[in-house]
Amino acid sequence: MRKTFFTFFMCLSAALLLVPGSANSATEYIHIGATVSQTGRFSTEIGPFKRLMNAWADLVNTQGGIMLKEHNRRLPVKFTVYDDKSDEATVKKFYERLVTVDKVHLLLGPYSSPLTFAASTAAENHKVPFIGTTANSPKIYERGFKWIVTVIDLGSRYTYRYWDMLKDEGKAKSASFVVEDTIHPLGVFDGSRKFAEEIGLEVLSSDIIPARTRDFTPVIAKLKKKDPDIIFVSSNIPFAVNFIKQAREMKCNPREYHCIHHSGVFLKPLGKSAESIIGQSYWVEGMRVGDVSLIHDVLRKAEISEPMYPWSPVWVAAFQIIQAGIQKAGTLNNTVLMDALKNLTIETVLGRVYFHETGYGSINTYPSQIQNGSYRVLYPPEAATGKHIYPRAAWD
Amino acid sequence: MASQFLQVVVGGILLGGIYGFAAFGLSITFGVLNILNLAHGDFLMLGSLVGYSIFLSFGINPFIIAIIIIPLFVVIGVGFYLLLLKPISGKPPNQLLVASVLITLGASIVIEDLTSFFWAHPITGIDYSLPSLELYGLVISETRLFILLVLLILAVSIQLYLQKTYMGKSIRAITQCRGGAKLIGIPISRISALTFGLGVAIAASAGVFYITLFTVTPVIGIPLTVKYMCIVVLGGLGSLTGSVIGGIVLGIAESLTAYWFGAAWSPAVSFIVLISILIIKPEGLLGRQR
Repeated sequence: MRKTFFTFFMCLSAALLLVPGSANSATEYIHIGATVSQTGRFSTEIGPFKRLMNAWADLVNTQGGIMLKEHNRRLPVKFTVYDDKSDEATVKKFYERLVTVDKVHLLLGPYSSPLTFAASTAAENHKVPFIGTTANSPKIYERGFKWIVTVIDLGSRYTYRYWDMLKDEGKAKSASFVVEDTIHPLGVFDGSRKFAEEIGLEVLSSDIIPARTRDFTPVIAKLKKKDPDIIFVSSNIPFAVNFIKQAREMKCNPREYHCIHHSGVFLKPLGKSAESIIGQSYWVEGMRVGDVSLIHDVLRKAEISEPMYPWSPVWVAAFQIIQAGIQKAGTLNNTVLMDALKNLTIETVLGRVYFHETGYGSINTYPSQIQNGSYRVLYPPEAATGKHIYPRAAWD
Repeated sequence: MASQFLQVVVGGILLGGIYGFAAFGLSITFGVLNILNLAHGDFLMLGSLVGYSIFLSFGINPFIIAIIIIPLFVVIGVGFYLLLLKPISGKPPNQLLVASVLITLGASIVIEDLTSFFWAHPITGIDYSLPSLELYGLVISETRLFILLVLLILAVSIQLYLQKTYMGKSIRAITQCRGGAKLIGIPISRISALTFGLGVAIAASAGVFYITLFTVTPVIGIPLTVKYMCIVVLGGLGSLTGSVIGGIVLGIAESLTAYWFGAAWSPAVSFIVLISILIIKPEGLLGRQR
């Protein structure tokens, strides 16, 4: 009997010694959880971004990590990243896991509004700070969530600089909208339409089209008849590529095409058809917005090309926010950290970031035009890297 | 107004012809083998990506690529049949249908997942176009017109193959009466494998035309298969002409609906057209009563 009890006691002690403690009991690193759309419909936008996170972590860790006053030392950064497959149910599952199983200290948001909408519920339920990246649908911020801050401004303001530019130039008189029927394009359309009307443009038509539509011949036939100065395509990239291809086939020639997303994967299947198309960019090489050396360092280390992955600078800004927030809080205590983040105002690679009451941020896009296969920011003049070509050369 | 209407109808015809050709591969598979191939759209997707790779690597014209990949996909289709479908070919018709749905659905998921994982460019399209024709105010895409002409030539060639060659006659015999074909010594298994291979090759060839017009992602397979199933049922099982006409009917219906009522209504109207025709003629437009 004694022997049995002794054996049991020794086994229990060994088990307690061998099983690792929770992250909070003996903090050896700053644990950040995230998902990346490595597969699925968003993989073209951010597929390799796990490398981006690891690259930044390596850069921070070679400097010793992030200073934490509470521990009186620097702690290294470690990411745990899962593939959300661009799917809402999967992303929800993994953010729950990051919080309950992996016990991360904070969460970095996934790509897109629909995925962020799903992912942020885990942060709210378990009270873990959540730093959103590319999520600007107002619906995310109307829920009264307290545990989210996001780098970027609301979708309704996504294109305000473009309309400011048109107002200054005074050339365009009318616009037609072609909108993909999904959450982000609809949000951008709502705001863009209001801006167009505010600057005095006549809105000739607004077509809301299902996301899976492949053939745009009927819509383009109507647009040709209306002949607007601007055809504004608010959509994700596959939709926009198909639309522009068919518009060219049908020789639909407004003075300008605007496609809100026009990154490298937009350019390749269109080739010369993409020339002079305007879209929105957070950052383009050569822009004068402040110290962008971190963008170069992280992207070079991660072997990611910005034109092909135009959202990468947003993630770099998010990393800066995380670092500044942790340093300001001085602790990984959830409540103190979240408070520090909400009241943060810092200069990032994309400009000044601050957060509104409901959590959305202040970073917004610039109108950029494809000129000879390169992206040129057009407005405001202090950030511009090229001049606006208007009207575009007609397709013959 | 009239010219816009004609423009939309022409667009529908050109689109429908492409639908019809892709659907024909599904039609002969189902008509001859009683196998519902839910991976049909995925073979179209694979054909697109192979076509894209050849175009990018060698700069060969997509219309030529569409022809030269046919033998490759016949071999792939035959291999797929022998590996996955031949083991179930002896089952009674009802069980065969269910088993084929399960197997091909599983294959579809595997193909999509593997392609998503390995293909570096999840949105793909070919930068290729021809100047458009202008005729009496109508703008006709030469690319689409040319695709339709090539498809018609291919369709006529396949029809001649089915009419004039031993293999073609054997396929038609199996379609008409499987038992009778067996009695007269037609090698059912070999013909079935080749038929499936032909169906897959037609899908892949259509895929090369598809990527010339539209972007392709690894997950377009099943939505396309559902569309082609509708066309097959509409046009009549086993009928090439029926598939092309069914595709054109659907293409025009979708285009006119999008023009008059908005693109959101196109899928619903397509199904209404399908149901209406099936009520009037359950075997499809050019199908034979069984």
